[in-house]
Amino acid sequence: MQIEIPKDNWQGSVNTVTLGATPEEGGTRTRTVTIGGQQTLPFLHFEQTPPNRPVIALEITAARPGDWSPVLLDAWGDAIDDPGNWAGACESAGADLIVLSLGLTEADGRSADPESAVRATKSTLGGTGLPLIVLGPGQAELDNDFVIAVADATKGERLVLGLCEDSNYRTIVAAAMANDHLVVGRTPMDVNLAKQLNILITDMGLPLDRIVMDPTTGALGYGIEYGYSVMERLRIAALQGDAMTQLPLLVNPGAEAWKTKEAKVGEGVPDSWGKWEERASNWETVTAVALIEAGADIVVLRHPDSVTRVRNALDELMAVG
Amino acid sequence: MAQHSVLFEDHAEPVTVRAGTLLVEAARRAGIEIRQPCGGQGRCGRCAVRVVGGRVRRRSILRLSEEDVAAGYALACQAVVEEDVSVVVPPADQIERRLSTDHVAPEVTVPRGYAREQSQTVERALLRLAPPSMDDQTDDWARLRTALRIQNGIDHLRASLEQIRALGGILRASEWQVGLTYDTAGEPTGSARLIAIGPGAAIAADPLVGLAIDIGTTTVTVLLADLDSGEVLSRAATYNEQITRGEDVISRIIYASSGDGSDELKGLVLETINRLIATVCSKAGIGPGAVVKATVGGNSTMMHLLMGIAAESIRLEPFITSINAPPLLTAREIGFTMCPDGTVDLLPGVASYMGADITAGVLASGLRSSEETTLFIDIGTNGEMVLGSSQWLVSCACSAGPAFEGSGVVHGMRADRGAIEEVWIDGRSFEPTLRVIGEGRPRGICGSGLISLVAEMFITGILDKGGHIDETLDTPRIRRGSHGVEYVVARRDEAADGKDVSITAVDIDNLLRAKAAVYAGFNVLADRVGVDLASVDRVLIGGAFGKYINVEKAVDIGLLPDLAWDRFDFLGNTSVKGAYLSLLDRAAREEVADIASSMTYIELSADNSFYEAFTSAMFLPHTDLSRFPSVEASVT
Amino acid sequence: MALTGIQIYKLLPQTNCKECGFPTCLAFAMKLGAKQVELSDCPYVTEEATAQLAESAAPPIRLIELVGEGHQIRVGNETVLFRHEKTFYNRPGLLISIQDTLDETAIEQLAKTVDAYGVDYVGVDLRIDGLAIEATSGDAARFAEAVRAVRRVSDLPLVLVGEDPAVLGAGVELLEGEKPLLIGANARNWDSMAELALQNGAALGATAASLEELAELTEQLRSKGVEDIVLHPGAARMGPTLAMQTQIRRLALKNFRPLGYPTIEFVGGSDDGRQQAVLATQAISKYAGLVVLDAFSPELLYPLLVLRENIYTDPQKPIQVQPALYEINNPTPQDPVLVTTNFSITYFSVANEVEGSGIPAWLLVTDAEGMSVLTAWAAGKFDAESIAKAVKQFDVAARVERHDIVLPGHVAVLSGELEEELPDWNVLVGPREAVDLPAFMKTVLSEGSTVH
Repeated sequence: MQIEIPKDNWQGSVNTVTLGATPEEGGTRTRTVTIGGQQTLPFLHFEQTPPNRPVIALEITAARPGDWSPVLLDAWGDAIDDPGNWAGACESAGADLIVLSLGLTEADGRSADPESAVRATKSTLGGTGLPLIVLGPGQAELDNDFVIAVADATKGERLVLGLCEDSNYRTIVAAAMANDHLVVGRTPMDVNLAKQLNILITDMGLPLDRIVMDPTTGALGYGIEYGYSVMERLRIAALQGDAMTQLPLLVNPGAEAWKTKEAKVGEGVPDSWGKWEERASNWETVTAVALIEAGADIVVLRHPDSVTRVRNALDELMAVG
Repeated sequence: MAQHSVLFEDHAEPVTVRAGTLLVEAARRAGIEIRQPCGGQGRCGRCAVRVVGGRVRRRSILRLSEEDVAAGYALACQAVVEEDVSVVVPPADQIERRLSTDHVAPEVTVPRGYAREQSQTVERALLRLAPPSMDDQTDDWARLRTALRIQNGIDHLRASLEQIRALGGILRASEWQVGLTYDTAGEPTGSARLIAIGPGAAIAADPLVGLAIDIGTTTVTVLLADLDSGEVLSRAATYNEQITRGEDVISRIIYASSGDGSDELKGLVLETINRLIATVCSKAGIGPGAVVKATVGGNSTMMHLLMGIAAESIRLEPFITSINAPPLLTAREIGFTMCPDGTVDLLPGVASYMGADITAGVLASGLRSSEETTLFIDIGTNGEMVLGSSQWLVSCACSAGPAFEGSGVVHGMRADRGAIEEVWIDGRSFEPTLRVIGEGRPRGICGSGLISLVAEMFITGILDKGGHIDETLDTPRIRRGSHGVEYVVARRDEAADGKDVSITAVDIDNLLRAKAAVYAGFNVLADRVGVDLASVDRVLIGGAFGKYINVEKAVDIGLLPDLAWDRFDFLGNTSVKGAYLSLLDRAAREEVADIASSMTYIELSADNSFYEAFTSAMFLPHTDLSRFPSVEASVT
Repeated sequence: MALTGIQIYKLLPQTNCKECGFPTCLAFAMKLGAKQVELSDCPYVTEEATAQLAESAAPPIRLIELVGEGHQIRVGNETVLFRHEKTFYNRPGLLISIQDTLDETAIEQLAKTVDAYGVDYVGVDLRIDGLAIEATSGDAARFAEAVRAVRRVSDLPLVLVGEDPAVLGAGVELLEGEKPLLIGANARNWDSMAELALQNGAALGATAASLEELAELTEQLRSKGVEDIVLHPGAARMGPTLAMQTQIRRLALKNFRPLGYPTIEFVGGSDDGRQQAVLATQAISKYAGLVVLDAFSPELLYPLLVLRENIYTDPQKPIQVQPALYEINNPTPQDPVLVTTNFSITYFSVANEVEGSGIPAWLLVTDAEGMSVLTAWAAGKFDAESIAKAVKQFDVAARVERHDIVLPGHVAVLSGELEEELPDWNVLVGPREAVDLPAFMKTVLSEGSTVH
């Protein structure tokens, strides 16, 4: 029986975005990462061979994190006390890029400041040749101060700076524009809000190939279905040709999953939840893979084992036969 | 380069300028400063001048009508000198007046071809009865009915006990020459209900008059109309006394549901109406007893409170009224001070938040007389909207919040003396120019002023598309206040009360929410019936809101859909107009009933697509800029 | 092409007779357009209109029911490619496979464990739907023993897996009154498998490596009279499986009948058992009707069951959490009260942020009928009155001494009214987004308490 396979013929495509710059390109990275370019929904090889595969980032923090699960702390050991070492360990664990989260405090308990943010960034860059995403501590004024300092000190590296939010994006975008960096914008699980922030950022003059968007996803069991559908809708809108949705998608299954009780807590939970470490790792992996199926271009993870598993999944998804 | 002379009349000497010079520049050379509130961007229309000799090239005719252009008006900041011209600069107040009367609603006019005999349900008969005798033992009532049947073809006449009680006395006192007023509305053919009976001479001398009443949540309006000619004899309006017990329908319902609240609110609205009835009657020199009919429009809550019916179910899910189409009542039953057996006709509504004010408004708007797709809107605290044509009608209501009525914002106020009603901002200096109601110093900002202000802030880049104030701009008017970032519209030295008038980030957010809710309502209506909003042929704006709003600015912020200006029409108080038409004409009254029964009401709180449409509209002008091509052109 | 409300309206009598239960013909037409009512509810519809409106009456993907001893699985009947287009209706069945080569005790033990497994997720008891018994032994008697062993301890629906009709027959005979699934038919055995399925009232799986072969096979089965078919696409790896599943779903939705059936995926069998997690994640997300895992491991089943619950949640219907006063980070009476609505995503994002901050607080969740703060505000379901009502209902004043109550920043407009409703409370306006809560709590709320 002859069957005509129904193929979508989309007008639009996802923007191709390159993170990081090698010495020839004005940076210090040993390799760059390129994402985007798809003209189909995820991994539909029969319509288009995916031009770039989604990439895996590992998240590190400038100072030893106070609220991470012991499972994670065990997994990384002492590396966690120095962003450079930690980033190196991430590279060995198979990450494609690093996300450095700047915190409010330093390892010795003092308040972090722009100088310490720059130190942590430099140390990270020194510990790995991978491209880097640097995120402020999540408070508008500090975000701006830290990110400006980091942007100035790393001109030309094509870092991804964040987080731009609808109420606080101007300073970060301006810093990125002035120093040849990229930005990431985050919006709370809504197609319209995601699109709105992209409009605001591009209105400032930053080219679309220097922006990635984080639509916020929610972990498995904590609203993943909203993020999942928002991502599918954004990707479909992008393929339909809506320029303000054609940005690659960055999502944080690591941070989301490791916030959940299921991943974080080992004792005093029902037996039906199963073994802690394995469950926690599954929680992160299942969240990440579901989001990859929905169109993620960058998944930010926290556990080294999850990197292996998600990488396997990506290999499988990129396989044709 | 060619040189041309420009003569400003009232100035002796013409100035010579190069071809391509703008009229404002030529004026400056002549020593005349023409005000440019918008900074010379051709947006405000305040620099209009009249070219009386020669011609100029108008780069833009924004804010000018065809008639204006024909009369020689041009915007000085957009008019290019290309030949010798003479120009009249009108005094500023003339421009003010021309602009402020831009959108004044047409007065209520008698429907064309109105003829009482065909249209009116209230009729009058002068009867000369044969007096009874020992031979003619017919009772008084039967005698009256027989005469009425013979003379006017009315077989059945209904009367109240009070009327029967008075009957014998009246017949005898008038020596069997009586006048009757009766109403055939709601009665089978050949039947009528007696409204009044009196001595023939007296009745014949009384004019036949009725009332059209609109009970608004805020304002009550009454028209006194001559039912013979259809003419409006007098009109009056005042605040609804209930306002002291809550400003919006929800708080009234809450008030009514506790203690004697219901009776109290009923008393207050009756007091308001009866005072207005007295006013219109005394203006026309007519006794209230001569008023034989009243037709009433108003939202469902107002109708329930007037009738003294519990309104609680209106507020609570699933939002059901006790009655949408009340039966015909009498003034005695309802408590109006007029002829006690006069007819009181409360027009029918559709749902809890789609009342008789809107069905009457749809009638008055003429929406149903055309196959064109028409959007009818009435915006206050609630935005009610109807989409349809002669074929179909859908409607919805959304809570816009109080921003459009000037409350819910820090320096908001009603459209009263001292309210800023329009704003222009210079795109370079970010300095505002204000138009204030009553022309004094500003005290606050009313709804239309807010729309105007936010539109100007957006167009001049003070606001980004997300509605955030750009703090990096170099102007002392942008600052951090106790409510966060704000823009000072009038500094204390410019304001009436010696206090700054400003708009805060929170105010802007409230306005954005309000406009988003309204636009989302349009969107959902259009989507539900599968009509493209851009293909709407006409937008008819009723209610008090429409009188002041500036379409351009409402489109700039994405409150109204971006359609050609000539598709918008302002109709003023359509509820009272609809009541007036229904008062006069039985066909119009039947049409209101038909509108009410055929209108499909969409309850938005049960509609999932509303939230989506709402967040999409929470942007300036809209997340999907392609819906607003004219705004796109001015901001990119 | 679906008709719009107006288009349908034009086919209706337009008399607004109200006998259908809707106030106007247009209201009925819009409900009809949304497939929420039946055309036959209109007593006056013409035959001509019926003909024009009877579009795609049959579901594009056949509903298949597997029945055990009481329990059942329903899969199929899906109508969309993406859950946001409408919803996914029937959760894919999650099953655990059992090899008949295990000894009887082990089989019983495993079946019993699977049968007993249940996990609570926001008040829902999530369970495994069935067992797949694999005829690995190739021996009819042994297979029958395995089926008997399972049935002694479990009444879950069964899938019997094997290529030899004689072996499967020995098992299916034992399941009288049930409706198991046989996996199944292939190009070689389809004729006798079809007979076996028909004789025993079983659904039948069709296994093939390509869409063409699958379609041919289902046509052959249908020609034999088999109606209840489950597709078993033979792709081995995730990429090709995704392609096949997508193509099957697309073709089915275009009413290509030979592929209008639910599918089954076996996600076990890899060397690394943990790889099941990623395979099953894809299967649940992308169109599988039945998913068979080859091991029982609660640490994997729990996340998968939750994923299935999440993906198959009706996106039109907001999930609600129970309105209540929630405790976060063990608050004391000296901690502040934050207010939000009972839209689950709103609740979770607020609760997560507060929890993440480590700062103790009370979270008062009001009944806003599952709407987010903004929607509820717009629809009038989240106002000063309802917040005050919740304060009373959950006896907040008795449990909390510090009377600071924090409104979401989006509804700052309510602060005045709330002060009137709650005169003993200090009303504060928090940030608009949950993500800003930790900072707000650290700066604003830690500045001493206002005890009344």
